[in-house]
Amino acid sequence: MERLIDSGLEELTVMVSKMGGVAEKALSVSINGFVEGEDLSKSVHELSEILVNRTVEVEEKAFSLIAKYQPVASDLRIINSYMKVAYDFERFGRYAWDISFVSTRFNAKTVKCDKWIFEYIEKMAEKVLQMVRVSINSLRRLDPELVKRMTEEENEVDKTYFEYLDKLVAQASVTNECTISSVLVVRYLERIADHAMHIMEAVVYVATGEKVTLR
Amino acid sequence: METRDLKAIYGKLQALKGINLKFPENKVTAIMGPSGCGKSTLIRCLNRIHELTPGAKVQGEVILDGINIYDSKVDPVAIRRRIGMVFQKPNPFPTMTIYDNVVAGLKLNGVRNRNKLNELAEKSLRMAFLWDEVKNDLKKPGTALSGGQQQRLCIARSLAVEPEVILMDEPCSALDPIATAKVEESIVELKKEFTIIIVTHNLQQAARISDYTAFMYLGKLEEFGETVDIFENPKSELTEKYITGKFG
Repeated sequence: MERLIDSGLEELTVMVSKMGGVAEKALSVSINGFVEGEDLSKSVHELSEILVNRTVEVEEKAFSLIAKYQPVASDLRIINSYMKVAYDFERFGRYAWDISFVSTRFNAKTVKCDKWIFEYIEKMAEKVLQMVRVSINSLRRLDPELVKRMTEEENEVDKTYFEYLDKLVAQASVTNECTISSVLVVRYLERIADHAMHIMEAVVYVATGEKVTLR
Repeated sequence: METRDLKAIYGKLQALKGINLKFPENKVTAIMGPSGCGKSTLIRCLNRIHELTPGAKVQGEVILDGINIYDSKVDPVAIRRRIGMVFQKPNPFPTMTIYDNVVAGLKLNGVRNRNKLNELAEKSLRMAFLWDEVKNDLKKPGTALSGGQQQRLCIARSLAVEPEVILMDEPCSALDPIATAKVEESIVELKKEFTIIIVTHNLQQAARISDYTAFMYLGKLEEFGETVDIFENPKSELTEKYITGKFG
């Protein structure tokens, strides 16, 4: 039986799902730009702005659904979670822009880093992007099946992050553009992984009603 | 108040199929469920008015303060004084003044002292959030009041005999939103002194005013829990379907 609220919920789902695609693109473009030494900040900034605007739209849509239909139970959980997830996507966009800003600020074309530094960043970026993709797909299917795997991956990201900082302190003899920019980027990656976990928490909440803290 | 394996029968129809439910004291418990699920029958069993319907029978127990109100030694009239009831449509006694409506139950119970009657009338009207609106018109007929005021008059009438439990059967279904808000406000205040059990079809009303919610289906208790949990994360799929409107 089609309910009056259903078309609104469907519209909200599509809006959030599209945001996921934009967020993923923003992150992969910005990380790629840093690793390849390219200044892609303009296009990343455009994607980030799209996410900011979409978050406002999701919030407005969610509020109108609440005001019109006073949703409860799974309807209420979906609306509440989508508002939070939209914010997580907005943060993805912001961190993507921050990463591309680092590339610009420290002149990506001239920054010279030791090979091992890029290897760490690439390894971490690969894991984080994978987490972002899993969280977005889980949200689309409202399936919390991969929570355990995500928790393990998040632990690995954290481990890589701290390992990198320790190694940098031990091996980098001077503070230069490379060390500063790489520290900023790994920090942003670590935060992105946290937001991917927030999305998984929202998926668990919508699917089961259980409020979990996965971090 | 508690029910133990409570069954209600109308002729050949079993309207309640063994209800076990503890109503928390000084709380508002909402009873919800689709039409015909037995919710009105349940509250009519709680103060023994179900048995007034020809062909109606009750089995099982309703415990109030440790005593089964269906025990043969218990006087049903005394029980109805301890467990008051407010009905769907405001039903003030049509020939009586506002004042006489409030004290009618007291007079029936033999209270004759004028000061005592005045005191309880004012107290009951204040508790029903009606005093300020009628204090200068106590001699006017109860039926001269608006629908919302009449319903609060009926609440005041049920309070005057100082019951322990108040049962309400869709008390706002005939009222406009402003009158509903006033009745709801008085219900939330009243729980400080009484245990309130309310049947409502209005989900948002249950969510607004009740502490606990019981969901009934086909004469059985499907789910009971804190209202906030029932409305956020119901355990039963039937409850979920009912409150989200996915029923049928």
